[in-house]
Amino acid sequence: MKTFAVLQLSGCAGCEVSLLNADAWIDEYKLLYMPLVISAYNVPDVDILLVSGGVRTDEDLYNLRRAVKNTKQVIAVGTCAISGGIANLGNRDEVRKLFLAHQVERPHVPRLLPRSHPIDTFVEVDRYLPGCPPTPDLFMAILFDKPDFKPARTVCQECGRKKLKDMRPKHLLGFQSGEVLPDICLINQGYLCIGSSTRGGCGAPCTRAGHPCVGCRGPSNAFIEKESSAWFDSIQRVFASMTDIPPEEIEAALRSPQLALFLFQFSDYAGTDRPPRQKEKVL
Amino acid sequence: MTTLTFPLSRIEGHARVIIEIQQGEVLSAHFQATELRGFEYLVQGAPAEQMPVITPRICGVCSTAHHVAAVKALEDAYEVTPPPLALKIRELLMLGQLIQNQATSLFIFTMPDRLGVSSIFQIEDHELGSDETQTRIATRALQVRKAGTDLIALAGGQFIHPIKAVIGGVTSGIETEAAEKMRNYLEAIIPMAQELFDYYWETSLELGERLGTWGDDQPACYISAIAGSCPNFYGNVLHVTSTDGNVCTTFPAKDFRKHLTYQSTDYSYAGQTSYEGEVIRANSLARINMLYNLGTPQADKYMDRFREAFGQPAHALLLFDMARGIELVYALERATEILSEPLNNDEVAVPYTLKDGEGYGLVEAPRGPLIHHYSIKKGLIDQAEFIIPTVHNNLAIERALRVAAERYITEEWVDMELEYAVGRVVRAFDPCIACATH
Repeated sequence: MKTFAVLQLSGCAGCEVSLLNADAWIDEYKLLYMPLVISAYNVPDVDILLVSGGVRTDEDLYNLRRAVKNTKQVIAVGTCAISGGIANLGNRDEVRKLFLAHQVERPHVPRLLPRSHPIDTFVEVDRYLPGCPPTPDLFMAILFDKPDFKPARTVCQECGRKKLKDMRPKHLLGFQSGEVLPDICLINQGYLCIGSSTRGGCGAPCTRAGHPCVGCRGPSNAFIEKESSAWFDSIQRVFASMTDIPPEEIEAALRSPQLALFLFQFSDYAGTDRPPRQKEKVL
Repeated sequence: MTTLTFPLSRIEGHARVIIEIQQGEVLSAHFQATELRGFEYLVQGAPAEQMPVITPRICGVCSTAHHVAAVKALEDAYEVTPPPLALKIRELLMLGQLIQNQATSLFIFTMPDRLGVSSIFQIEDHELGSDETQTRIATRALQVRKAGTDLIALAGGQFIHPIKAVIGGVTSGIETEAAEKMRNYLEAIIPMAQELFDYYWETSLELGERLGTWGDDQPACYISAIAGSCPNFYGNVLHVTSTDGNVCTTFPAKDFRKHLTYQSTDYSYAGQTSYEGEVIRANSLARINMLYNLGTPQADKYMDRFREAFGQPAHALLLFDMARGIELVYALERATEILSEPLNNDEVAVPYTLKDGEGYGLVEAPRGPLIHHYSIKKGLIDQAEFIIPTVHNNLAIERALRVAAERYITEEWVDMELEYAVGRVVRAFDPCIACATH
């Protein structure tokens, strides 16, 4: 029986909770380490190590380095492990100043690093499983390495809402205002939905329920090895062809925090000398 | 002086317990949260409208509670009242959260303590051998838990970080067919949950007998956003009881500072709250102590059984775990009631206008009352505060840890049972460290 472990760094445990819903692994895999559900304090030798959460404290870094020594395959799971995720919003200079200045001296707890890091800043990663969190089906697909698992290229393709030619909004509605019409594309209705170029595989639960896609799975393969501007441009093109919304309006909205934290998840190497993550490694 | 460090598992997040002793005397017992992401800072400057999407990421276990609290806080600021159907769907969301959370805490986090194993998944490894009943426990536990997440997915669109509650209402109703399917599914889960809970009840009694104690049973004040009869976890106002069990204060979320004192510590990333200098307790036992009844048949039977066995108010620590089982049954039953009503026949949202100002959102999360407080300037979050149930419990956790430490530490030795006792104490409160530190 193959063995696996789950190392949770600084995150929300949402990835772990999602994994618990993918209960079919119970009969196929032996879970040896996952402090959320098992009393075990050291990562043993395992076939697969799933790492969730970003590296935020010196203890995270220590635990990560120690854990990868004993494993055959390392999989970065969820936005935080891949890019720092939501905690990345705290990497903005003005926030860091505030944040660090407000901390009382705490000599007995793990020290915060100056910023939050994705795990591949420090260790080699074999596969990436993006999503906030990845759905149970995606967990199963990566654990079992199913060759027949062919996710849709984009969320748009999985959504099922109809695109209309004659429904061209002039302004963005914002994320939440107004009534959502069933069955009609959210872009036609003036919502800033970026499912047209967000990586598929999730089954589009958000857009189906009437909420615009915020891009939590990151860019589709077409953009994954490019700078984030390529993804921005593609979203602009979609809106230009389907709506009469001024591009400045889209540009400003794309840079708002709830999108920015996901939009940049594969492009945070831009401006550094690190090569982009290869799309073959990403599920 | 000797310092004992206990790593913790089967709780949400990163924490440990530090006990300092000198010649058999317990000097201190600290509950130490060891992570911090800084949500109160990192949301500053974010458009206020985005909080219902950003704040669920505080915690993947309690995400639904944050999602709903965020929407409520914004509705308070924008002075908008969602339509009744939206409120019903939000109550369903809170019930899904309760099912998921109580099933996880009962069967995944604390059941292993009753059975003397390190996890429900590793039962066949253990010296107890592969008892057929136990193997089935893991599978059944996950099934009951999944009923909660499936309900969240139906009512919230997505089961970890839901998206369907929006300012002014919800994005859509629930179609009759889908509601009926879910109701039948939950009805089939109820007996399974009861069976597991009965077994849990029995093994808890055995544990109590073996230990000769049910843990810290000194009276405490309790805090909850629900009290009286037939609760609604959607939340309304806060209630605090005095140590004799009488409700002594009721106040709206915006007045929390008048009644609760917050203090940060230098040994943990999570702070502590107290009520007029007294230790307070939140979570399941607080609610069961403060409620007259639950209003659903099976849950009320358990409630009567609980009252008969342990009285009201009940203070012994391990009763937190027992109370969770009653709530699990309640949440399943109540959800089937709501799912029998029409959920797709009326308006689901009302329009709103953006406004600057202050907003407070209160819900009764599984771990206790949760408050989001935002102040909004030019449409952006200027300041945000997250008042977290686990933080209300932190002093109570430390008090209970001290009781356990004093029981198992003598001048001659430290009883190895202490390690297990520490785990049981902390898990009884079902703390959430990601939330508590945020």
